[in-house]
This record gives sequence, C-alpha cells and structure tokens, in this order.
Amino acid sequence: MRITRITLANCRNYGEATIEPQAGLNVFLGRNAQGKSNLLEAIGLLGTGKSFRTSREAEIVREGYGLAAVSADAVVRSGNVTLGFTIARGERTTRKTLTINGRAVRYAHFLGKLRVVSFAPADLAVIVGAPGLRRAFLNLALAQEQPNYYTALAMYARTLRQKNALLRSGPPYDEELFAIYDRTMVERGARMTLARAQYVQTLGPHARAEHLRWSAGEELVLGYNSAIGYEIGDDEAMLRERFERALETGRTRERARGAALVGPHRDDLTLALDGRSLAEYGSQGQHRTALLALKVAEYRAMAAATGEAPLLLLDDVLSELDPDRAARFLDGLGGFEQAFVTATHLEHALPGATAFSIEGARIARVA
Amino acid sequence: MTRSEPPAEPVVALINEFTKLPTIGPKTAARLVFHILNRPRNEAQSLSEAILAVKDRVGFCSVCASITESDPCAFCRDERRDATLLCVVADAKDLYAIERSGAFHGRYHVLGGVISPMDGIGPGQLRVRELVERVGSEATHEVIIATNPNAEGEATALYLSRLLAPLVATVSRLAYGLPIGSDLDYADEATLARALEGRRLM
Repeated sequence: MRITRITLANCRNYGEATIEPQAGLNVFLGRNAQGKSNLLEAIGLLGTGKSFRTSREAEIVREGYGLAAVSADAVVRSGNVTLGFTIARGERTTRKTLTINGRAVRYAHFLGKLRVVSFAPADLAVIVGAPGLRRAFLNLALAQEQPNYYTALAMYARTLRQKNALLRSGPPYDEELFAIYDRTMVERGARMTLARAQYVQTLGPHARAEHLRWSAGEELVLGYNSAIGYEIGDDEAMLRERFERALETGRTRERARGAALVGPHRDDLTLALDGRSLAEYGSQGQHRTALLALKVAEYRAMAAATGEAPLLLLDDVLSELDPDRAARFLDGLGGFEQAFVTATHLEHALPGATAFSIEGARIARVA
Repeated sequence: MTRSEPPAEPVVALINEFTKLPTIGPKTAARLVFHILNRPRNEAQSLSEAILAVKDRVGFCSVCASITESDPCAFCRDERRDATLLCVVADAKDLYAIERSGAFHGRYHVLGGVISPMDGIGPGQLRVRELVERVGSEATHEVIIATNPNAEGEATALYLSRLLAPLVATVSRLAYGLPIGSDLDYADEATLARALEGRRLM
C-alpha cells in the first residue's frame, strides 16, 4: 500500500500543507522542530487513528484553532481509497471523526485500511519500559492485522474497568454482576491471549534472524508471559478454561486488593538475550539492536499476514545509523512499497529516494 | 494598566446556568447568552416558558417510567397494544427510537440507564425491581431486551436475562446486524461476524 497525496490542515505547527509522496523512499530533511515528526504523526493517524507520540490528542490541533484534519489518497490492494481523520478540540473534550471515501465510519472499521509500522528513538521504551508499553505494542500491531482483535480488546478493556470499579466499591458484592463481567472477560480475554501468543511466535523467528545480522552471534528470544498460564498448543476453549480456573484461584486475592489481577491485562512480551532478560541485563547498545530487530520483525510479520507491505515511518532513525548500516537495515525489511524517513541530515544520499525539505512547517520537493 | 470590567451580573448568571448543561462549556455558554441578548424579548420568553413547561407538565409514567403528560402514559393506557410483549430500554429516548420504527406494538419498560459501577450505577439504581414485579404480575409472555450492544448494554442485558428467566416464557435480545441499505463491503468485521452468528433461515 502507498499514499499518493496527503493533506494536513492545522495539525501541530502546520497550517495547510499538501505533498505527493512517491513509491519507495521519501526522505524529509530539516532542522529540529520544523515539523518532521509532526508529518509522520499525521500519516500514522490515518493508519491507526491514534497518535504514536501522545495520549493527549488535543495537542494535535494547532494552537489557537479548533479543528485539525489529515486526509490522504491511498492505493491499497482493493483499489483507491481516500482516508480522513479530523479532531475537534472542544472546551472540555475532543471529538475524532474517521472517514473512508468521505463517509464517517467507526474506529473498528477504519483500522487496518492503511497499515503503518512506525519506528522512532523513543520506542526504546518498548524494550526497557513497563509491561504496559509492550502490551500496547502488541495491541497496535494486532489491531491493524486483525480487526476482530480490536473489537475483543475494546470490550475487554471496558469490562475490566467496570469490574475494577465494582471491586473498589467493596462488599457486599453483587455476585451475579461479577459472574457476568468475568464471563465477558474470559470470552474476550481468551481470544486476546491466543492472538498475542501466536503473534509473538510469529515475530520470534523474524526477530531472532534479524538480530543475528546485527550482533556477534547473540541470540534474541521472544516469549509471551501469560497471567492465565498459556501454553504452546492451547486453543481458545482451553484458554477459556485456564482463565476460569485462574479467576477462581485469584478471587480472594482480587477482592482483598480491590483490583482485577487475572487476565491478559497483566501479560508481558519477554525479550531475552542468550537466556538473560534484556531489560535487566542488556547494555544500551544491545537494547537498540533488539528494538531494531523487533521493528523489522513487526514489519515483516504484518506484510506476511496481510499480503501487503505496510507503510514504514522512520522518525529520525536512519540518521543514527552510518550509511552502511542504514542500507543493511532497509535491506532487512525485504523490500518495502513506501517509506517515510525523517533526518536532520544524511551523510550519503539514499539511492532512489525522493527528497523533501521541511522548514517552518513548509514542505518542498527537493530536485 | 486598565482594570478589566466583568459583564453585567445577569449575563454572568446566565452563562453559569448554561455551563451546567451537558456538552456546553463557558465559550458556548457566552455565545448563547449574547445570541439571546440580540433577539426580541418574546423569543426569550417562549424559551423560558418551554423550559418550565417541561418541568411542570411532563413527568414519568408510574408503570413504565417513560416521559408523559398524563399518568399512566399513552403506551400503557393503549388497549390495542400487546400486553404480553414487553420491551426493556435503557432510556426514554431509546423508546422513541423503537416507536419510530413502527414495528413494535407491545408495552415498554424504561430502566433509567444501564449497569455501570464506574458511574456508581448498580441494579439498585435502575428500575429493575419494578421490572421484576411487572413481569411477575402482568401477563407477559416475552421480554425483549433492547439495550445498546456495548459493554454496559451487554452486561445489563445478561443481568436481566438471568433475573427474568424463571419468571417469563421467553427473554430475547435485539438482533445484531447490518444497517439496511448498506454495502457488505463497508460493514466492519465485528458487525459482519455478529450478523453471521445471528443469521436466519429463508
């Protein structure tokens, strides 16, 4: 898939800007704080409907304006499609509207129309940060690959919040209501656990192979740590049983703590290097190499699962690599249809790249 | 340095009143107030009278809790409506949505919300006890639960179905499906999956 035109209106520091990116590499060069990351964020909004930079989405709307919009014409396998994202900043809340060919659609329908894999230096937190960041990484990749995953996740997350509220309210509990929340969480949670565990099994070999290309024989192993005790070979029915048993075992503990402690919201993606936890023992260099391998694996897995290469958004990543390593990184992706790359400068021109300059929120094609 | 002068006191008071309404913030409230200031007096009068009339003349039906000018409401008084069919909705506005369809000729029961511990709403805060009493005492054959297909609506439907199962022959739930006039191509996968689960023989 690729974008043939993208228009930004009042996004961050942009007034109005339109560009026509080409197939292959599109490189955006400019000094810091000119709008490079903002452009990539806007493209990401059309893929996931969410910012990969902030959870405070009101920030996306340009200072002093009420409405920000991004729209793009894209060429996907099923044909041409125009995607739109608008966010209105109200006095207390924000409202997002997602459109496909001008028609407003629900989030679950918008997801997966344009798939993106983004990679920025801040993603290092996925390797070294809290488990929630790794769950978010899995969720975003899976939601783009499988729309049904998002539906299960949304229902699970909402039911979890209700169950937590019920637990916090303290006894006497409405047992009937507990049973209903647990039943919903088991049904959706088993599906989520299976999808995530299988996804990690798919990522594993890609990540391991890519990692070997960058390190001196160190072996990167991914694992999925499941709170309900997933084991390889489990199907959904078996996971539902495991989940139910774990809920029974954990019931007293959950009520004592006043919080839901059992389920995929407590899971983690584990990364080990030669058998040792990467986050605990790895050096910063090892963390970076692992992140690179993980991102390449995400990209390849998404391309394989959907039969279509996703858009690649590289924010300030290639400038960290020397030209030789940059070429090796792009080579490792196994061919991409379209990539958006930002950098303050590049040591060497990238062959076949279309270059743009960004200065003060103005984007111009460089011959 | 000039001292900033606040607007006249009645203006401030009305802005404050408007900001208490849902979805209205201080800026919108100010816009509404200045709009009213620029309109003739009779428009302001009919607005304030309409607001008072809603409070003075409209109440809740003692049987189904829908909004009505007379108690019991027109739905509950209408003998032509099928008293063996009872449709349970979360809010009165859902009742009117179903009524507009013209496809339902039974009675209604308005819960007054859905179960949501996050908002401090349990079954005890809704008209669940009244529903159980009605189903137990009236000649109800079927209860149709018409809450929204989201997490809270689903949980409420499940809760009610367990509660009502021993009391009534049939408890049903609105079907999930595709919007009429839509393209399969444009349906999201979740809706399509539910529509397949709920398919029917032809």
